[in-house]
Order: sequence, then structure tokens, then C-alpha cells
Amino acid sequence: MHVHELNPKKTVITMIIFVVVIIAGLLTIRSPRLKYALTPEQTVLLTASDNGGISPEKLELLLTGSTEKVEVIDIRNHYEFARGHIPGARNISAVELLENDNIKWLRILQEEGFTVVIYGKDQLQANGPWMVFRQIGFSNVTVLLGGYQYYLAYKDNKTQKYAPCKADFNYDEVAKASVADGEDNNQPAKKTTIVRRKKKGGAVAGGC
Amino acid sequence: MNKNYLVLAILMILLAVGLLLVPERQNYQQIEPEKLMWDITQTSRFVTVDQVAQMIIEGDPTLELIDIRPVADFETFSLTNAINIPLDSLMKPDYQDYLGIEDMNVVFYGNSDINADQAWVIAKRMGYNSIYVMQGGLNCWIRKIIQPVEPDESASQEEFDLYQFRKGACAFFTGTKVEAPDAGKTGIKVVKRKKGTAVAGGC
Repeated sequence: MHVHELNPKKTVITMIIFVVVIIAGLLTIRSPRLKYALTPEQTVLLTASDNGGISPEKLELLLTGSTEKVEVIDIRNHYEFARGHIPGARNISAVELLENDNIKWLRILQEEGFTVVIYGKDQLQANGPWMVFRQIGFSNVTVLLGGYQYYLAYKDNKTQKYAPCKADFNYDEVAKASVADGEDNNQPAKKTTIVRRKKKGGAVAGGC
Repeated sequence: MNKNYLVLAILMILLAVGLLLVPERQNYQQIEPEKLMWDITQTSRFVTVDQVAQMIIEGDPTLELIDIRPVADFETFSLTNAINIPLDSLMKPDYQDYLGIEDMNVVFYGNSDINADQAWVIAKRMGYNSIYVMQGGLNCWIRKIIQPVEPDESASQEEFDLYQFRKGACAFFTGTKVEAPDAGKTGIKVVKRKKGTAVAGGC
């Protein structure tokens, strides 16, 4: 017979402490302010399917004619914003985007069915924030193709079709055309490379 | 037997069953959205085509170029020693081995920098470090390295140095015959210059 079985209260106390610790643990689990709504795999699909947002033509249409609810966010800094921006845009610089107030505001917009268009000075600047918003569940957020630069060019009617992810050249031909009379050394040495890289860190071990 | 023990035991079993329901842990450590957004606002993730050319020419062993274009594009043209990970297969386990190798600087590139940046965001979210994006992508590579444009006469010495470097690099990558002393000299000259002022001129 165990000693503490002489005192039944001891087991009760142990049990209570046990339960209290578990409950305290459950209550204090840190629940992150923002959670990912998309897995990395889904994000990959997002980049593959939705090649980024909305053209200036379409934005113009949304802002003027249609009844669709649109909110435009300029993610450049305040100085750049002050020098010129898309009419009706609201300035929230990239570093402030995830602040509590802004997240709250975005949640409201999402509930009310707004389309949120974000843009930076070029599409690259807005690409990251757009992906973050999509990944944390703001499926109503879209990005302005080409950013502010392209928007201005569009306004000046100097535009050609914006196709950021297309090849502007036939690389192979261009590279070969530049070859006067040398051999072509653009062939990827991929098989050998892959073998070499795969080795990881193991080789480091055992020097003298 | 004490009744309390029985209750305690049942509680333990219940908790053990609860453990089974705990969601499976992923085998990579994701960074939080706030951290991801912060990293995105930093421009230190960009490298210029000149820096990449420099590293290839010097045979930098820490450089790991990753071509995120589709396989067919990669097979017709790619940069020296690049590895092909098409953007849509970035998450496949086979390819994950290429990321996160110690002491390797991974540089993503595509036709432009948008897709490469998307690959960067996903890799960053999964906690990989030492990853970069080649600014301007291959379009910029062709414009600057393969078809360098001679600067105006009024341009600064730096721009001429850069042009000389690009001409040398073009010769290196295409095999064009250039006057040997020219290419050789500029190669060394630019090594000194490049490090700090690489930011000059974007595509």
C-alpha cells in the first residue's frame, strides 16, 4: 500500500492540479492574430491560375461606370502618394498593411463584398503584399497589373499590352545571334549539376 | 482501490485520445504572415543581372540559380548551371531538397521578376533563408548582358565601366571573340566596383 493512499485527499489534490494545469494550458495557447488560409500548395496553384489581378482598363471601368464596390489601396510611401496617385485611392504603405486597424477595415470590406485593388509603383512591389493577403484569406484582394507606372502610361495612351511574365525575346536565338564564331555554351549542364548539388552538407565532415 | 485513481486513469485515456486528434505537424516551419510581410517590404531580396553574371563568371560556389519557368523553356535556354524548378511544382518534395541547402544562395529567375518573386514569397513563407530574386528576369538579362547598349558620351565613368563589364560578360556567355586585354581588364576592374553600387539602373 502506498503511503499517500493513507490520505485520500492527496490524490484529489493531484487530480485537481493536473486538470487545472491542462485547462490553463488550453486557455493560454497563443492564437496567432493572422492565420494562413491557404496552404503553400494552394498558393502555388494561385500563382499558376490567377496570373495577377486587374488591368488599368478594367479598374477604370470599375471606378467610373459600374455599381461594383471597389476600394483602391496605394501601398507606396506617403511621399510618393502625395506626388500623384489613382483618384480615390487610399494610401496605406506596405509596412502598415497588416496593422490592426487596417486588418479590421479589410475584414469589413470583405464582408460587405468590396473588391480591393492594391498597387505599388510597379507590379513587383504589390505582388508580395497581394500574395500575403490572399494567403491569409482575403480572397477579395486583387492586384493592379503593371502598378502605377503602367497606369500612368495607360493614361497617356502609350501602352502596349502588358504581359509581364512573357519572354520578350527568343532567348536561345538572341544568345546565338550574339555568337560571332564561338561555340554555344548556353546548354544547361543540368545532369551533372543536379548530382553535385544533391550531396548536401555531408562532404564537409572529416577534414584534417 | 481508490476511486480517484480510476477517474485519473480515465482522464489520462481521454487526453491520449485527444492527442490523436491534434492536427499533424508540418515538416517545415512556416513563418508568420507579419514576418513574411515585413520581409517582403525589404528590397534586399533583389540581385541585379550584373551581380548574377559576376557570380557566374567568378564561379561562385555558393550560387544556386533556380529557373522557375516551364521545363520546355528551360531546355531551350537557361543560365549556366541553373536548376529547373517550374513554379507550379515548387512544393513537390523532390524539388524541396534544392532549397535550404546550407551556405547556398538561391537566386530565382524567370522571364520577368514577377513569377520569380512569387516563388520567393512561397519559399520565404516556408522558412527558407538566403533566397533572392533576379531583378528583371531573363528579359533584363538579354537587354543588359547579351545586348548591352553603349552609354552616351556624357555618361559617367561608372556607366562606361559597367558597359565594359557587360560586354565582357556577353563575350563570356555567348563565346563572342572580343579583344582579349579588354575583356580581361574589365573583368578585374568591375570586381572591385561591383559590390557596393550594384543598385544602379533597373529594368
